Amino acid sequence: MAPFELAEPHTLSEAIALLNAGDVPVRAIAGGTALMLMMKAGVFQPARLVSLRRVEACHAEITVMPDGGLSIGAMATLSSLARSAAVKQAAPVITQTLKTLSNVRVRNVATIGGHLAHGDPHMDLPPVLTALGAQVRTLSPVGERTRAVADLYTGYYETVLADNELISEVIVPPQSGSLAAYLKITTRAADDWPTLGIAVSLQMEADIVKAARIVVSAATNTPLRLEVAEQTLLGTTLDAVTLLRCGDAAVSSVELAADAHGSAAYKRELLRVYTQRALRQALAVQL
Amino acid sequence: MSATRTIHFTLNGDPVTAQIGTHQHLVEVLQAQGLTGARESCAQGLCGCCTVLVNDVAVSGCLYLAAFADGADVRTIEYAPAGKLDVVQEAFIECGAFQCGYCTPGFILMTRQLLDAHPDPSEDDIRHYLSGNLCRCAAYPEIIKAVKLAAVKRRG
Repeated sequence: MAPFELAEPHTLSEAIALLNAGDVPVRAIAGGTALMLMMKAGVFQPARLVSLRRVEACHAEITVMPDGGLSIGAMATLSSLARSAAVKQAAPVITQTLKTLSNVRVRNVATIGGHLAHGDPHMDLPPVLTALGAQVRTLSPVGERTRAVADLYTGYYETVLADNELISEVIVPPQSGSLAAYLKITTRAADDWPTLGIAVSLQMEADIVKAARIVVSAATNTPLRLEVAEQTLLGTTLDAVTLLRCGDAAVSSVELAADAHGSAAYKRELLRVYTQRALRQALAVQL
Repeated sequence: MSATRTIHFTLNGDPVTAQIGTHQHLVEVLQAQGLTGARESCAQGLCGCCTVLVNDVAVSGCLYLAAFADGADVRTIEYAPAGKLDVVQEAFIECGAFQCGYCTPGFILMTRQLLDAHPDPSEDDIRHYLSGNLCRCAAYPEIIKAVKLAAVKRRG
């Protein structure tokens, strides 16, 4: 890696001030597992990194809010989320997702804020949090903002976040009565980058689907809601014919891209099948 | 601000002061200290050969900025306070859980972490926990046997 300056401020607001550097490439670094890969590969050469590891400890807290939703500090490591009783209680699909989200050592270091800010469409939590209707709080010199995770991404490794805007907190709204599942398909190890990720969330009333979110990732430039497919589920009991129709609608409503993990044609067939499997798995959680 | 700095940390129980480049990762700095047990292999955090414990937490040393170890308690496979092998190392030898041995330090350190968290792991637990460690000689059946044996020895 090429040399760079490393700043280690003690507060989030100092960190934000240090991110203002004009034309010089400056980036915040939390756990650094993703950024290190980019720097080692030479695709990113910062003049300065602003480490967040010394900022106030409150930014790593995970709490259940009075309404039953979750507040996750952006500096919470993925391991701390995986072990958190609060996460398991409020949004068990997150706990489930973390089991195959990279390996133990990476989870021990990587943070949820870095995971969301990185913008790699192969990451597992952006589609899951989009399906759960989660939001992030961000801080910048302009002030605090709340943004939907669904609105964070504009392209491959591109986000709406300004250069001096940091995610400070992730808010997962109460999930009472909703069912969710995430399936990731890998072609090598179980914890590899996915060739396709599919997250679903369902609001049921008795046996009838009242609302649905279906989000595909790792085969599109950004995590993407498949609204046409979602529509096929409303008012149904998720019977076999509906599931088939939904899988077909998912495939015909989106253009998938090939990458090192699979061809577009392969991913299309995965999407057709795994949309149905994810919906079945979400339903099975109820039993 | 300079691109080099001095860091202080505890390395296998002893205080260390090191002059580092802020862009250096932990494995580079450990090797400069003469420790070769943690080694960079895949360079992507996938293979586990660079496993190091920082404040008792396993990290991929090749993805960990050395500057982040400032003030930390760092332990490597070379750490042997009793001056002898521990039960995990004994179990790996008894089961012949390696061929070339390049990946073995990482497997030993991760097995200790696994057994700290799950004293009696199922085979699925073992496979899942160690999925981030690669043995390119494919000694996996023996490694799984060794982990099971180490669990028995530890509980023993």
